[in-house]
Amino acid sequence: MFHNIPVTPLVWVFGGLSLLVFIKYILRLPARVEAYLKHLWVYFLIITAAELTGFKVSVWILAAVCFVALREYLSLVDLRFQDRWGVWGAYFAIPFMAYFIQIGWYGMFIVSIPIYIFLIIPFLVALGGTKTEGTVFSVGAIDFGLFLFVYCAGHIGYLILYSTWSTVLLVLNVTVSDSIAFLMSTTGKGPWNGKIIKYLIAVPFTAGLSVLLITLTGIPWHHSIIIGTIIPAIVAIGRYAMTYIEADLGIAEDYDHLRRGKLINSSSSLLFTAPVIFHYIRYFLT
Amino acid sequence: MKKLAILFSPCVLTHRLLLRPLVKLIFGVSIIGREHIRELDQFIMIANHNSHLDIFLLFQILEPDKICRTHPLAALDYFRTPAWLFKTVDFLFRPVWVDRNDGSASFPEIQARLDKGQSIIIFPEGTRGETSDIQEFKKGIGIIAKDNAKIPIVPVYLEGPERSFPKKASFPLPLLNHITICPPQILRGDSSDITKKLYNHLKKIADEENKFRQHRVKKSLKPFVIAVIGIDGSGKSTLSHHLIRFFHEDCCFIGDDLELFSNGKPHISQPLITNELRKWVGRKAKKAKNLKLYKVPKIAELLLRDQLLSEVERWYRPDYIFMDGAPLLNIIAWAALYRGNFFNEEVCAKALDVLQGRDALSSDDIIFEQFPELVGFRKLNLNHLKLPDVVIFLDVPPEVCLERIVSRGKSIQAHENLEKLTKLRNAYQIMCHALSVHHPVCQISGDKSLDQLAQEAILFIRRVGRDTHEKN
Repeated sequence: MFHNIPVTPLVWVFGGLSLLVFIKYILRLPARVEAYLKHLWVYFLIITAAELTGFKVSVWILAAVCFVALREYLSLVDLRFQDRWGVWGAYFAIPFMAYFIQIGWYGMFIVSIPIYIFLIIPFLVALGGTKTEGTVFSVGAIDFGLFLFVYCAGHIGYLILYSTWSTVLLVLNVTVSDSIAFLMSTTGKGPWNGKIIKYLIAVPFTAGLSVLLITLTGIPWHHSIIIGTIIPAIVAIGRYAMTYIEADLGIAEDYDHLRRGKLINSSSSLLFTAPVIFHYIRYFLT
Repeated sequence: MKKLAILFSPCVLTHRLLLRPLVKLIFGVSIIGREHIRELDQFIMIANHNSHLDIFLLFQILEPDKICRTHPLAALDYFRTPAWLFKTVDFLFRPVWVDRNDGSASFPEIQARLDKGQSIIIFPEGTRGETSDIQEFKKGIGIIAKDNAKIPIVPVYLEGPERSFPKKASFPLPLLNHITICPPQILRGDSSDITKKLYNHLKKIADEENKFRQHRVKKSLKPFVIAVIGIDGSGKSTLSHHLIRFFHEDCCFIGDDLELFSNGKPHISQPLITNELRKWVGRKAKKAKNLKLYKVPKIAELLLRDQLLSEVERWYRPDYIFMDGAPLLNIIAWAALYRGNFFNEEVCAKALDVLQGRDALSSDDIIFEQFPELVGFRKLNLNHLKLPDVVIFLDVPPEVCLERIVSRGKSIQAHENLEKLTKLRNAYQIMCHALSVHHPVCQISGDKSLDQLAQEAILFIRRVGRDTHEKN
């Protein structure tokens, strides 16, 4: 289904984004928008690189992005001194995962982190020292970071291996949902406060975009519409979950100058969505 | 031409092409306030010191032409061996070598470099700290700043190295580092004043940055128990109620009744049956005509009160419990009324141990002959009374108390006369003296205003609270 990939539009999109990132000094955007733009540029760099220079390069750029995001997260979590070995273990998982994606070994990619690394990390944390208090918290904190910022991001890499334009579809749809959520940001807290309205407003855009891109993605129109309706829903869920995590990590108080958690803040919606869409496409379309 | 030669010297090239990109790539650096240092030609930079990474991070913020002209202070005894380490450090930073046993010996060298127009980096803490907290500054920085009043001082706060490569760690971890450069300052005055000012400045930034950090909440499940003791009418419950207003946490007051407070305001909760029982027994005790009839219901009331303490802990989970008297201490003090002739400090200390079940006394010890009630407590397994974390003794003369009791207009209890109250007050004094050897006891004389009393008590409570917190 995914043959004859048109590259020219991709290069155009990437070029446009590069221009935006380049003139951001003139635009004087808010810190969060600027960080979001940069993150978008990085993902388009990964996608474009896959087409222009080969899949290998793009996977290892993705691995670098995973490393930066995980580093950002682990810098914010209050870990104990003796969790240092566990943190090393988490970092070491990245190159292995990247390698499994590169050689297209799906089975190993999908089990390596949730099975082997998640079993090794508690062992490493236990090896690190004699203090037992807080071990559960530490293991949980490291595992969550590894899961979201490495494993979920890894699905984007594997999705590129399947189909470049499906990845573009995913990233663009998430960006549209994020932008709508950002523009309509409400102050109220609570799971239903404005979420449904945001979702309902986003769906025509995302579903429309998916249908528009049919000629490029090659996904049948009914599946395109379903993907277009799923994405804003998961973005809403992800954004809501991340408000709590960001508040706990101290990113929320830092929104004005955004020194901390730039990548976490911009990429969390994409990371929540990527595995779901990847498995949807894998199950129904390959 | 000369400038070009500096920019392409091996030292600058190593920094710019190797060290800086490497540190940025592995650890990640975010810098705030670069503009504060860009235009400065000469400066004294001070920073907090937690890690070997610190110096590499500080060299990230220097302008290229200043890399060669900025020198840190380094401990000679630490870097002398092995030779390659000494040579590398000397090549990269050209530090002012300091003998840590005789710090002032390096002053001439520092002065000479400053006179040449070079800049200095000082870690005023002297050595790497254990945690992210800033240690007291050494005196040297104040003296150097005072002697060179024209050179601006740039305080820099480093956040991150204490996690990526702390003192005890054997290997570094890739974790982000934040560098905050403060505006340059010119300080005048006494050298110790300058040191103090710089310390406060850096400490303030540290606290601000620390506010953003995630901290694992370690809420102690055990409440902090504060007992206000004193004879009847000394104003124990008035003081307790006044104190509670200053505590924003969840508080509980155990007095004649059980009251719960949150954020200083009372709120209602599920009643406890033990409390109702205790109130009923308490009323019986108050109606007693003489001391003999008073004894049994009073002891029962006190024991129930002790039980109530654990139930409050169990069901309400408050942060602070304020008690009007403490069962353990009341029982001991009351012994003076019944067996005053044996009552002294030594006996008090022994009785405290017995009633808490911490004694190793044999049953034929003299104290059990003098106070046979203790045998009963032991046999009935009632010797597990709780000692409050803080004891505040309100020392008020009995005459004043008696006046207050009369003015309340309630029926007067069997022991509420001048003779008994004087005896009781003496007993409390003796007991507090015995207790204060191992336990925090605050004795406040009650002739002050309520606000003064509360202020004194709060200071004491906060101090003890901090001490116990640190101990844990």
